Amino acid sequence: METVINDYVSRELVQDPRLLPLADDTSLLETGILDSLNLLRLVVFLEERFGIAVGDADLLPDNFASVNAICGYVRAREPGKQEAARG
Amino acid sequence: MAYLLQHLLTEAAARQPGRPAVASGDAAATYGELDRWSTQVARALLRLGVAPGDRVALLAPKSAAAVAGLYGVLKAGACYVPLDPKAPADRLSYVVRDSGAAAIVTDDARAAQAAALAADVPGSPPILVTGSLDVAAESEVPLAGERAIENDLAYILYTSGSTGTPKGVMISHRNSLAFAEWAAAEAGLGEQDRVCSPAPLHFDLSVFDVFSSCRAGACLAVLPEGAATFPVSIATWLERERISVWYSVPSLLTLLACFGGLQRFDLSRLRTVIFAGEVFPPKYLARLMAELPHPRYLNWYGPTETNVCTAFEVRKGEAGDAPVPIGTACANTEVFAVTPDGRLVSEPGEEGELYVRGPTVMRGYWGQQAKTREVLVTNPFRAEYDELVYRTGDLVTLEPTGDYAYVGRRDSMVKIRGYRVELGEVEAALYRHPAIREAAVLPVPDELLGSRLRAVIAGTGAADLTRDAVLEHCRQWLPGYMVPDLVEFRETLPRTSTGKVDRAGLATD
Repeated sequence: METVINDYVSRELVQDPRLLPLADDTSLLETGILDSLNLLRLVVFLEERFGIAVGDADLLPDNFASVNAICGYVRAREPGKQEAARG
Repeated sequence: MAYLLQHLLTEAAARQPGRPAVASGDAAATYGELDRWSTQVARALLRLGVAPGDRVALLAPKSAAAVAGLYGVLKAGACYVPLDPKAPADRLSYVVRDSGAAAIVTDDARAAQAAALAADVPGSPPILVTGSLDVAAESEVPLAGERAIENDLAYILYTSGSTGTPKGVMISHRNSLAFAEWAAAEAGLGEQDRVCSPAPLHFDLSVFDVFSSCRAGACLAVLPEGAATFPVSIATWLERERISVWYSVPSLLTLLACFGGLQRFDLSRLRTVIFAGEVFPPKYLARLMAELPHPRYLNWYGPTETNVCTAFEVRKGEAGDAPVPIGTACANTEVFAVTPDGRLVSEPGEEGELYVRGPTVMRGYWGQQAKTREVLVTNPFRAEYDELVYRTGDLVTLEPTGDYAYVGRRDSMVKIRGYRVELGEVEAALYRHPAIREAAVLPVPDELLGSRLRAVIAGTGAADLTRDAVLEHCRQWLPGYMVPDLVEFRETLPRTSTGKVDRAGLATD
């Protein structure tokens, strides 16, 4: 999952080539990679690729700060694990 | 009498030195501090050899340091050129070269980027970091900016140019001050207000929070970059910072309305919401006004070349099926529409191109007199003397209420999140790729974003011309909002009988 998400972010969202290759723990916020528009594109991608539903209350820095953070969030939200994510 | 932009600051500092001028994260500056800080910047610039009339590039996100920097440039009698810190290096060095910048002003965090930029430009302009100045603000020597007149340039804003390179819109002190004063009065700004526009300094929406706030002695509050990504974070910040006036492009307000969870927050301090830069999709405006019913909602319209020239206040229940009108002319400004056969639009329902006359109309495009003459034209309805008016290129209709309604463009410019994008500039960037033979870029309407860009490409057959390669190539030349979202490959592009690329045909494919 880390590879899939890192590939997507690197290919679709990273504007500045100097930020590549992207480490899984690189901050997507401090580097400016994730702006409000890219966040929405990423959400659409995650929903389609992993079959999860991202609620507006989940759109928080903690869940999207890095590739690792996104993976942690998606794992908790995958079908059958919704309860864990809410807790 | 305030006739230069920096007079707004010196007057506010004399009136209320201890009140907050800029609040940005942990860093804040009062009017007194900002006034002294900017004078230090001006003295340091003069010491570096900056002379009246020079251009000085400004590489810094909006902050107390950046605002001190821009006022410092003005106090030195120079004109500032705000750069987009996120733009590709080649584009930044083009703007620095094209404007002939005599120096680059930056903040601590961008000092390395500024050094790389300066090294990339012939003559390597000197760099001034606003955070580390050892110059006394007090001195007997008068600042060069005190000799400036209102017709002198205050700043140059670079926007997308149809011929492949950005063009610099020249704004004088008079131009900007006329807007700042009108806008401060229109929004009813006072010293208690906390004003936010998330627009960066190279985008003309920021003229409002920088200069109108100063005119009123209000506080400019800077939305932290990380918070701007997450709608809920923006709402949290609006509540915590007790923001009273907001000015942004509609797409950000759409995100707030849809994903901001606005009802969970106490936004009772927010009394005025202003939007500009693109059409607000009516259903999202209605949703925003339902989620947040108490503020005034104002739709402001105007290209960078004139700043705001018309305004419309949206009353409750007016946001519905059709986009709200752009309204009527601001005070001290006249707008009129001209039909394709040169008649003045006077009947409701008639369509024409919008023209603007007034003190906010730009001085022209930097170094591009021919291009300037295409848009700053003699008023066709004034036979007795020559008066220059601005042709917006925007098509409007006159409504029965006397308001104008926006219809579209007469050329191939589109808006993406409020940013102007000339399709020709994107195409020119594509053509720089050696394996691209033909290219056409078309806007694809997008409900949430306004438009997305679709590139249709015919290559030379080189195997390495992939979508990723095209995007990577574009990112070397274009800022993010100009990079196409969709890339398609064709053997060849369809042509009309006159040999032009058949855009209408491609658009319906």
